Amino acid sequence: MSEARAPTERGDGEALRRFLVRPEAPALAFLAVLLVAFTLANDRFLTASNLESIVDSVAVLGVVALAVNQVILCGEIDISTGSMLGLCAIAAGAVSLSTGGILLPLLTGVAVGILAGALNGALVTLGRIPAIIVTLGMLYALRGVILLVTGGTWITGVPAATRVMGTGKVLGISIPVIILFGLFLVMELVNRHSTWGRNVFAVGGNRVAARLAGLPVNRVRFMAFTLVGAFVGIASLIYVGRAGSVQTNTGVGLELQAVAAVVIGGTSISGGRGSALAALTGAVLIGVILNGLILLGVPGIWQDAVLGGLILLAVATDVLRRRLVGDKA
Amino acid sequence: MSVSDGAGTERAATVAEAPAIFRLQNVTKHFGGVTAVEDVDFDLRPGEVHALVGENGAGKSTLMKIVDGLYAPDEGRLEVEGQPAEFSSPRDAEAAGIAMIPQELDLFPELSVAENLFVGRKRPRTRWGGLDRNTMRAEARRRLSSLGVDFDVTARVKRLSAANQQIVAIARALVGDARAVVMDEPTSSLTDREARQLFRIIEELTSGDVGVVYISHRLEEIFEIADRITVLRDGRHITTASASELDAEELVRLMVGRPLNELFTRHPHEPGEVALEVKGLSREGEFADVDLTLRRGEILGLAGLVGAGRTELAQAIFGIRPAESGEILVDGEAARIHSPQAAMNRGIFYVPEERRSQGLILPFSIKNNITLSILDRISRFGLVPRSERQTADRFAKELSIRGAAISEPVARLSGGNQQKVVVAKSLAREPSVLLLDEPTRGVDVGAKSEIYRLIDDLAREGKAILLISSELEEVLSMSDRILVMREGRIAGEFDREGATQERVMTAATGGGDGRGEESADE
Amino acid sequence: MSAIATTVRRLRISREIVLLGVLIALVIVMTLLDPLFLSLTTLLNTSRFFVEVGLMALGMTLIIITGGIDLSVGSNLALVSVAIGLSFAAGLPLPLAIVFGLVMGVAAGLFNGLFITLLDLHPLVVTLGTLALFQGLAYGVSGARAVSDFPGWFAYFGQAYLGPIPGQLFIFVVAVAVVWLILSRTTFGRYVYAIGNNEEAARFSGVPIRKVKLALYSGIGLLVGMAAVIYTSRVYTARGDSGVGLELDVISAVVLGGASIYGGSGTIGGTVLGVLIIATLRNGLILAGVPSTWQLFVLGVLLLAAVFINEFFRRGEE
Repeated sequence: MSEARAPTERGDGEALRRFLVRPEAPALAFLAVLLVAFTLANDRFLTASNLESIVDSVAVLGVVALAVNQVILCGEIDISTGSMLGLCAIAAGAVSLSTGGILLPLLTGVAVGILAGALNGALVTLGRIPAIIVTLGMLYALRGVILLVTGGTWITGVPAATRVMGTGKVLGISIPVIILFGLFLVMELVNRHSTWGRNVFAVGGNRVAARLAGLPVNRVRFMAFTLVGAFVGIASLIYVGRAGSVQTNTGVGLELQAVAAVVIGGTSISGGRGSALAALTGAVLIGVILNGLILLGVPGIWQDAVLGGLILLAVATDVLRRRLVGDKA
Repeated sequence: MSVSDGAGTERAATVAEAPAIFRLQNVTKHFGGVTAVEDVDFDLRPGEVHALVGENGAGKSTLMKIVDGLYAPDEGRLEVEGQPAEFSSPRDAEAAGIAMIPQELDLFPELSVAENLFVGRKRPRTRWGGLDRNTMRAEARRRLSSLGVDFDVTARVKRLSAANQQIVAIARALVGDARAVVMDEPTSSLTDREARQLFRIIEELTSGDVGVVYISHRLEEIFEIADRITVLRDGRHITTASASELDAEELVRLMVGRPLNELFTRHPHEPGEVALEVKGLSREGEFADVDLTLRRGEILGLAGLVGAGRTELAQAIFGIRPAESGEILVDGEAARIHSPQAAMNRGIFYVPEERRSQGLILPFSIKNNITLSILDRISRFGLVPRSERQTADRFAKELSIRGAAISEPVARLSGGNQQKVVVAKSLAREPSVLLLDEPTRGVDVGAKSEIYRLIDDLAREGKAILLISSELEEVLSMSDRILVMREGRIAGEFDREGATQERVMTAATGGGDGRGEESADE
Repeated sequence: MSAIATTVRRLRISREIVLLGVLIALVIVMTLLDPLFLSLTTLLNTSRFFVEVGLMALGMTLIIITGGIDLSVGSNLALVSVAIGLSFAAGLPLPLAIVFGLVMGVAAGLFNGLFITLLDLHPLVVTLGTLALFQGLAYGVSGARAVSDFPGWFAYFGQAYLGPIPGQLFIFVVAVAVVWLILSRTTFGRYVYAIGNNEEAARFSGVPIRKVKLALYSGIGLLVGMAAVIYTSRVYTARGDSGVGLELDVISAVVLGGASIYGGSGTIGGTVLGVLIIATLRNGLILAGVPSTWQLFVLGVLLLAAVFINEFFRRGEE
C-alpha cells in the first residue's frame, strides 16, 4: 500500500517516539536518573560491590516479579505471593532440617508453590472468581496455614548445604544474582519464542478475540498462576539461604512489592502489554530506591510509603505517557 | 501451510456446475421467543461471490454465525463439501475451511501484523525449537503480497489504518487455508479507494476456487462484484438469483417487502428558528471543520458511510467526547458543552446507536430506564418521588411499549421495544434538540414504522431533529434537508428535492468527482 | 435443569433470609460450644467489635455495587488513628484532633477518588498503591510510636454503655439507616446501581459519574474516619498498625451479604447480615478458645466461599 510508513526515515523525533513507546522506557530512564543522583549524593553508591548487593537484595522480589509479570500480562493479578513465599520457605526449611542438602528442599518448595499457584489458577479459571478476590483470600488463608503448621514457632539453623542458593557464589558472582538473570533470560525467551508466551500477550490484549481464535484461554491463565507458584518456590530457597531461618511472618508485604515492581517497570496493569525486562527493571528500581534511601539516612519505616507512592507514580506516568504518544489502547 | 495460489484458472465456466463449498438447508434458529431465521437455504460455490442482503434484523448475521459455528441451528442442516457437518465453535468452521471476517475485526491491537496472522495457529519453528521470526515475517509478507499489498509486517496492528487492518484480517483468514470467506460489511469503514483495493483482492481470491459470502448494505457494490444474490427478510429466504437478473429497484423492493412510501410517515414541516448551530467543530482524527444549522421543526438527515465521523460529531455535540475546537450555539447563544449533563441542560439529547451498551441499563426496569435521565429534575432533596411511576407510565404509553409491565427489566424486551424505551427516555427529558443515531437499527418493520411516525410527530411539534442513518431510504424519505459526511468533513448538502440515492452516495464515497480522489489520500 | 433453575431463583429471592438462617445457625452452634454465648450481655458485647468493620462495609457496599473496590480502608484507619493521636500529642485539643482525623479520612478517600476518576485508572491498582502509601505514612509519621494518654472522656466513643447497650451501636444503627436511605431512596442511590450495571449507558444518560465516584470514595473515607475514632477509643491507643488487614473483613462481609464483586447488585440489608455473621464467627472462635491464627485462615476461606457461592447462584439464575 502506498501509505505504508517507513518509520525509520523520520529522524530523531521518531527515534525518541519509538523509545517512548517501549513499555520499560520510563522505568529505565528513571533508573538512570536515580543512579546518577545517588552517585552524586554518596560516593559509596556506585561501586561494583554495592551494585551487586542491591541486585542481590532484590533477587527474591525479582524472581517473583518475573512470574507475577506473566499473570498481569494475561490481564489477571496475583496478590497472594507474600504468604505463598512464607509457606514454601517453611516447607523447604522443614525438609532441610531433616534431610539437609539442596535438592530435596528445593523440590519441596517448588512443589508447594506449584500446588498453591495451581489452586489460584483453578479458582480463577474453573471457579470463575475474579483473581483479585481469589488471591486476596489465598493471601490470608495461606498465612493461616503457615501459623497452623508451625504453631507460631520459627525454623532456625538451616544447614549450610541448603543455604547455597542464597549465599553461594559462582565465579565470584553471587548465586541469587545469577538465578535472577538466568530466569529473566528464560522468561524473555519464553515470551519471544514459545507458543504459551505469545498466547499470554494475545489473551491479555483481547480475550474475546483470543477465545474466538481458538486459543486455550483458561489453560494460558492457569499456567501463569502455576508459574507464579513455581517461581515463588525457587525464590523461597533464595530467601531461606540468605536468612538461614524462617519466621511466621516471612514474605509479608512481598505481594505488594511484586505487583509494584511489575507495574513500575512498565507492564500495563490491564494486560497485553509489557515484558520480562519491565519486571526486572522494576525490581532493580525498587532495590536502588530502598538502598539509596538507606544511604541517605531515611528510616526504614518509610519503606511502605515510598513503595505505595511509587506504584501510584508508575501508573500515573503510564497513563500520561500513553496520552502523550496518542496510544488509545 | 501452503495456500493454493491458483491464479489464472478459468473462472466463469466452473462456477455454475461446481458442487457447493457449503450448503445450509431449511435452517431455523430461535432466540427465546424470537425467530431469527426460519427455513432458510443458502449455498456457496467455489469461485463465486455470493452477496447476502437484507435489512437490519433480517437474519444475515445469525445465518453466518451458524456457518461459523457460533450458533447451532435449531432445525435444518449444514453440509460442507457434500458431507453433513456440525460445528461447535469457530475453530471447527476454520478446520473445515470456512473463515469469518466480522465487522468488528477480532485482531490483537498490541501484536505485530505477522504475530496476528499466526495467533492460534502453528507457528514456524527454528531447528532449536525457538520461534522462527524470519520465516514468520517472510510468510506474512508473502501472504500480503499474494493479496497485492505490501506493508511493514512488524508494525503493531493498532497503528494501521482501518483499511490495512481489514486486509490483515483477510490475510489471517487465509493462513488457515480457507475455501470460503465470509465478509460482514467489509467496506463499512473504508474509503472508496480502499474499497476498490478490497474488490481487487476479492477478485484475486475468487480467481482461485475460494468462494466469498459478501454481506453489505451498499447496493452499488453488490451489483459490481456479486455473481449471485440472496435476499433475506424478517428471517425468511425471499429469493436467490443471479446478479444479472436483478436491478437495484427490484432488489430494494425484495428487501423491504412493500413499497417504501407505506413504511415512512411524513407530513410537511415548517422549519422555524435556528435551534442548534455548529461552527468549525473539529476533533483530531474524527471530524474537522463541521458547520451545520438545525431549525425547530426540521428533520436534518446526516448521511455518510460508517466511520465517516457522524456518530463522533453527534457525541461531541452531546458532550460525550467534546470537540477540540469550534463553537456550538444553542438558540443563538454560545454553549460550552463538556459533558452530557451540560448538553441536557441546554435541551440537547442524544439517542445512541449502541442500544444495549449505551442506551439502556439492561437489568433496570422499564420505569427506571425511562426516568434515569430526569432524576435530577423530578427529585426533591435528592429523593426519588413516588410520581416517578406515573411519569414513566405516560412515556411508555406514548411510545406504545407493549407486552411488558413497567417494572419488567428491559433485558427481557424485544429489540423493537428496547429501542422504544431508549426513545421514551430521551423524550422524558423534553429536549428541544434531538440527535437520533441509527434509531431503527435492528428493529422489526412494525416498530420501525411506529418510530418514523413518532419522529414525524416530534418535528411537527417543533423539535429540531438530527437523524443519522446508514439506510439511504430512511434518510431520503424522512429528512427535510440532508447533509453528507465523508472522512470527518461535510461533503455535501441537499434539499429534499435535490437529494437522490446516487447523489448522496457519490458525496458519501467521494466516488466520481476528482476532488474526492485527491482528498482520499493522506 | 429447569427445576434447578427455579430452586436457584427462589434461593436468590430469599438470599437475605438464607443469610439470616446462617446467622441463627451460627449463634446456635456457638451456644452449644459455650452456653454463655447466648446471653444478652455477650451478644451486645459482640457488637462492640463489629461496628468498625460494619461502618466501613456500608461504604464498601456502595463502592462494590459501582464495580469498584477500596483496598486501602485498613491503612486509612491507621492513618486517621495516627493523625488523631499525634495532633493531640502535639497539643491540639482532643475535639479538634478528632475533627482533624475525620478530615484526614475524607482527604485520603478523596485522594483515591481523584486518582481513579482523573486518570481513569482501575480502583484496584490505585487503592493497592494507597494501601501501602497510607500504611507507610502512618508508620513513618508516627515513627512507630504509640499515643495513649487521652483524657478519660475519649473512651466514650468506643467503651461507653447506655444501659446495657454499647454506645457505638447507636452510631452504627444511625449510619445503617442513613446509607440504606441513600442507596434505596435517592437519586444518588439509583446512579450507583446504574454505574455498576452499565457505566457507559449511565454516562450517555447524563449520570454525573465522576461526581458520584468522588462522593463514594470520600464518603467511605468519612466512614473510615468514624471507625478510626471508635477503634482508637476502644483500644485507647493510636498506633501506626491499627486496622492492618481489616479490608479483608470488610470486603468479605459485603460479598457475603450478596453484593456481586463484578458490580451492579448488592443491598445494605445483606451487608449488615454479612457483618453480623463474620462478627459472630470471630467472636465465637475466640470464645471457643480457637487461636487467632486460625481466624485468618477461616476468614480467607470464608471470603473465597462467599464469592464462589454468590457467583454460582448468579450464573444459575442466568
